[in-house]
Amino acid sequence: MGLLTDPGAGSGKFTQLLVASHNKLCVVLYIGGIIWFMILAHEHFNAGTYFSENALLPGLVKGEFDEDAVAKVYQSELFDEAARYPDGIPFSWLLAKFRQLNLDTYTHNFTLNSPLGLGMKYTGKNIYAILRAPRSSSTEALVLSVPYRPPSSVHPGTVPSVAIMLALAKFFRRQKYWSKDVIFLVTEHEQLGVQAWLEAYHKTTCGRSGVLEHGDMMGRGGAIQAAINLELHAEKIGYIDVKIEGLNGQLPNLDLVNLVHRLCSKEGVRHTFKNRENSNYRDIYKEWLHSFKILMAMVTTQATGVPNGNHGLFHRFGIEAVTLEGFEKKGRGSPTLYFQIGRVLEGLFRSLNNLLERFHQSYFFYLLPATDRFISIGMYMPPLGLLCSALIIKAFALWHKMQEDPNKAEPAEEEEAEEIKRAPSHSEKKGSSNHFSLVPVGMTVLLTHALGIALLSSPQMLGSQGLEYGFSTDTSIYVGYLVMTLSMLFIPLFACRNGGAKVESWTILNIVALLELATLLLCTSMQNFSLALLSAVLYILPSLWMVPTQSRVLGTLQKVVWLLLHPLCLLTLIVMIYTALSFPDEPILELLEKGLIATRQALVYAVVDSYVYANWVFPVATAILLPNWLLFWVVLHSRPHQEDLKTEK
Amino acid sequence: MKSQPMDNLVYLEYAVAGIIRYWLINSDYKQTIGDRVEISTSLNSWRKVTEGAYLYSEGINPYVGDNFHETPLGLIVFNKLISHIPQWIGIIFIVCDLVTAHVLYRTAQTFMSELFSRQMRKKEKYAKGTETLLLKQSDLVLPPVYVASAYLFNPYIIFSCVGQTTTVFANLCLAFTFLLMIKGQRIACCSVLALATLQSLYPATLLVPASIYLARAESSSSLEDKQSLRASSCILTVVTFISALLLLLYISSELTGGWEFLHATYGFILNVPDLRPNVGLFWYFFTEMFENFRLLFICVFQINATLLYLVPLTFRLHDEPMLLAASLTALMAVFKSYPSLGDVGFYLALLPMWKHLFNFMQQGFVVGCSFLITSAMGPIVWHLWIYSRSANANFYFGVTLAFATAQIFLVTDILLAYINREFSLYHGLHHKGSGKTTKLVLE
Repeated sequence: MGLLTDPGAGSGKFTQLLVASHNKLCVVLYIGGIIWFMILAHEHFNAGTYFSENALLPGLVKGEFDEDAVAKVYQSELFDEAARYPDGIPFSWLLAKFRQLNLDTYTHNFTLNSPLGLGMKYTGKNIYAILRAPRSSSTEALVLSVPYRPPSSVHPGTVPSVAIMLALAKFFRRQKYWSKDVIFLVTEHEQLGVQAWLEAYHKTTCGRSGVLEHGDMMGRGGAIQAAINLELHAEKIGYIDVKIEGLNGQLPNLDLVNLVHRLCSKEGVRHTFKNRENSNYRDIYKEWLHSFKILMAMVTTQATGVPNGNHGLFHRFGIEAVTLEGFEKKGRGSPTLYFQIGRVLEGLFRSLNNLLERFHQSYFFYLLPATDRFISIGMYMPPLGLLCSALIIKAFALWHKMQEDPNKAEPAEEEEAEEIKRAPSHSEKKGSSNHFSLVPVGMTVLLTHALGIALLSSPQMLGSQGLEYGFSTDTSIYVGYLVMTLSMLFIPLFACRNGGAKVESWTILNIVALLELATLLLCTSMQNFSLALLSAVLYILPSLWMVPTQSRVLGTLQKVVWLLLHPLCLLTLIVMIYTALSFPDEPILELLEKGLIATRQALVYAVVDSYVYANWVFPVATAILLPNWLLFWVVLHSRPHQEDLKTEK
Repeated sequence: MKSQPMDNLVYLEYAVAGIIRYWLINSDYKQTIGDRVEISTSLNSWRKVTEGAYLYSEGINPYVGDNFHETPLGLIVFNKLISHIPQWIGIIFIVCDLVTAHVLYRTAQTFMSELFSRQMRKKEKYAKGTETLLLKQSDLVLPPVYVASAYLFNPYIIFSCVGQTTTVFANLCLAFTFLLMIKGQRIACCSVLALATLQSLYPATLLVPASIYLARAESSSSLEDKQSLRASSCILTVVTFISALLLLLYISSELTGGWEFLHATYGFILNVPDLRPNVGLFWYFFTEMFENFRLLFICVFQINATLLYLVPLTFRLHDEPMLLAASLTALMAVFKSYPSLGDVGFYLALLPMWKHLFNFMQQGFVVGCSFLITSAMGPIVWHLWIYSRSANANFYFGVTLAFATAQIFLVTDILLAYINREFSLYHGLHHKGSGKTTKLVLE
C-alpha cells in the first residue's frame, strides 16, 4: 500500500529514473523476456510431467488385445476395396464390416457450400459405429477416429489405421468392462468431415451459418469425454508421433498427452513429440538445444491456430483429443506391429473408460520441450509479461513526458475509450486555448478500425467480383487486399492534415497504439500463447521505435521496417521463407512464383478457415492488428515531438 | 455559468448517444450484451424481470420462488410496461439513461458553482503562491460537459442500457439523489434516496453525505446556533429518509399482499445465495466457503461494503460531502454483492467533477491501463472457461480482482489527490519538512 498512499510516487525518483531511461529499460525487458523464454527449454527450468487424474490408472491391467491377425486381413481387404474407389470412401465395405460386428452403424452426410466464389457444393460422408456401453446407460462416450484417405489423396494413406480400428472394434465388442460408449468414426475430407460430424453430434454450427451444412445424425452416444485420432501410414510402424495442437492453439489436457506417452513406453513403442525423441546428451548445451528445437516446433505449429490433425477440432467442444500418427519403419530394427499398437490403444481406452469425471485436473495451458517435460502457464507467462511491459512502460514514459511539457497537456481521463469518446467536447474549444485536440486521435482510431472491419467483411465481395472478371478466387482476394491495404497507406496524408492536431495529439495516438498492441498481445496470449509470443517478438521492438523523428534517413528506415511488418507483407514473407526452406534446390524465380501462389492460397485458407471452423487468426489480424499497424503508421508520419527535437539538436 | 454553446453541445451529445443506444438496442448485439455476466446480474437482469412479470400476470406470487429479486414497485411498473407497451421498452431505457446524464450534468453545474463560491469564501486562508491551484471561472465550464459525456459515451453505461438492466433505473435514482442533495431539498432527496435504497439497499450509506449537505444548506441560510441546528437537521433528514423508506416498504407489501418480497430482495442482497460469477468479489469466496463460516464472512463482506469506510471517510471528508458521496458510490460498486458494469460506469461519470484534482493524481495511467486490459481480458477468459473449458474460475476471478484493484486504486488516488491539494492550498506548494520531503497519508 506504500505505492498507494505515497503521493510522491508519481514524481518520485523511481518514476524519474523510469522515464529517463525508459528506452534502455524497454530493450532490457525485451531481451530479458526472450532469454527467459529460451532458457525455459532447459530441464532445470521446466517440470517433469505427472498424472494429476488418479482415475486414469494407466497401464494397471495387462493388455489382452490379440486380434492383430484379423487386422492384417482387414488391411489387405481394404487395400483391394480402396483401389476400386480412387476418389471416395468405400463406405459399403466399412458399413458391412461394422455391421458384422453388431455395432450400431450409421452414415452421416454433410455439405460444404463454398463460401468464396461460385456457390459450388461439396458433399462428404462419414461412417461411425457405436459400441454401446454394457455397464451404463450411454451417458458418456469415447471416440476413436480415423481420417479416411483415398488413394488419390496427397497425404499419406491411413488404411492401416482403419484396419486396426476394425480389429479393435472386434476386440472391444467382446469385453464386458465398458462403462462409456465407444464410437468408431471414419471421416472423409480430412478436417471438414470431423468438423461436420462434431457439429452434427452437438447440433450446433461453429462457423458462419450456411457454409458448412452439418446435416443430421441418426444415432448418438453419450457426451464425448475424449477422442483419439489415429493416422497410421503403414503396417510396420517405426515410431508414433503424438500431435496435440488444436484449433486456435487450444491444447488437450496434459493428462491425456501423458497417458499416451506412458502407454507407448509401457508397450515398448517408440514415441515422439514433433518427430523427435527425448535426447540423452551429456552436454548441457546440446541438451538444451534439442529441447529448444522441440519447443519452437510446438510454438510455430500452435501459432498458426490451424489444427495439425483431426484431434484439433474436438477441443472446442470440451473434448480432449490427440492424434497418434504412425510413420513407416525405415531401416533396420524391429518395427512396431499391430499387436503393440492394439495394446496401446486398448490401454488408452481402458484408462479413459475409468474416468469418473471429465478431464479437469491437469494443465490445459502448457508447452512441451520433450515428451516427458512441460512448461506450465505460470512459467511461460512471465516472459511474455516482460515483453508486453516494455510497451506499457514506453507508453507511460511518453505520457509522463507529455504531462511535464511546458504547455501542459490536459490531464486526460481514466480510460482511453472514454478519452476518444469525449473527443467531441474538445472541438468547441479548439483554437481557443493552448489545449490540444483529441478529435484527430479519436477520428484516426475510429477510421482505422472501421477500415479493418471493412477489410474483414470484404473477401466474399472480392471473390465474386474477381470471378466476374475471370480471375481465380485466390488471385482476386490477394490482389484486392493488396490494393486496399496499399490505399490505406495514404491515411496519414488525411489524418496528419486534420485541423487542430497538435504534436501532443500524435503522442496520445502513439500511447493508444502502444497500449492497444499490449492489450492485444496479452489477450491473444490467453487463447494462443505461441501466436502472442511470436507476434510480440516481431512487433514489440519496432513498435517501441516508431516515434517520429526529424532525421530523414532514420525516418525512411523506420518506415521500411514498419512496412515489412505489415500483416500482409509479413504473411508473404513468411510463406516465401517457408517455401524456400521446403524447396532448397529450386531456382530463385521459380521459388518466387511458388511462394506467391502459396501466399495467395494461404490467405484464402485463412479466410475459409475463419468461415468454416471459426478460426480467429484472420479476423484478429484484419480487424485489430492491421488497424493497430496503421495507427503506428500514422504516428510515424506525424511531426516529431518538440522535446525530442531539442534533444536531437 | 450556464453558457449557451455548452448546453447546445450537450444536447448534441444526447442525440448522438441516443442514436448509438437506439442502434445497439435494435441490433443483434442486444441479446449478447444482455447475457454478459458483467452487465446483467441476477439482481438487475431484464430476463428475470420478464419472468417475474409473467408470473405476476398469471396470478402467482413471484417472490415465493427463488427467481425474482426486483422490488414490488418495480414489478408493478415493469408488468404494466411489458403488457401494455412492449415496443416502447427499449426507448424507455434509452430515455432514462439520457435523463440520468442530464441530471448529472445539472448536478455537476451546480457543484462547480458551489465549488467556486466556496473557494471565494476561503481564499484568504490559503497560503501564498497557490494561485495556480485555484479554480478560474473558465475552469468551471467544461467539467459538467465531461460528466455528461463520460456518462453518455462510457461503454459500460452504454452496454448496461442496451442490455436493459434495471441498473439504468438505479442510476437514475442515484443521479436524482445527487442533484437534490446539492440543491438542498430534503424531502425530495430523501424520497429518491429511499427509492434507490428500496431497489438495491446499499445506497442507504449515501444518507450520510446527504444529511451533511442538507444540514449545511440549512445552517448557511440561517444565523442561529449552528451546532444544534446541524444536529437537528441531520436527525430530521434521517427521520425523513426512514419514514419514506417505511412508507415505500408498506406500499410494496400492500401491492404484493405480503412481506415475502423482503426476503427475495434484501435477503437476496444480504445473504448472497446466487453465486453466478460477476465482476464482484463475493461469488468466488462464497463458492469456496465452508457452510459453517458463511454467516461470519457474509457479515464481514457486507460490513466491508457498507460501514467500514463510511465512518473514516466521513470524518475526513465532511467538508466535501459530494466527494464523500462519490467515493461511497464507488466503493459500493466495488464491494457490493452483485455489482455490474453499470454501477462502475456511474461513478466513473462523476469523476470529471474533480477535474481540478487530476493534476494531483498519480495512478491515472496505471488505473487506465488496468481498466483497458481487464475489460478486454474478462470476456476472453470467460470464453475460455465456459465455452472452451480450458481455463477455470480462477482465471476469471483473477481478472475481476485486478479490475476491483484498479477501481480501489482510482478511489484512493482521487481521495489522496484531494487531500494533497487541500494541504498544498493551506501550506503552499513547496513544502519541506525537516530536510525530508513531507509524506502525506490517507487517514
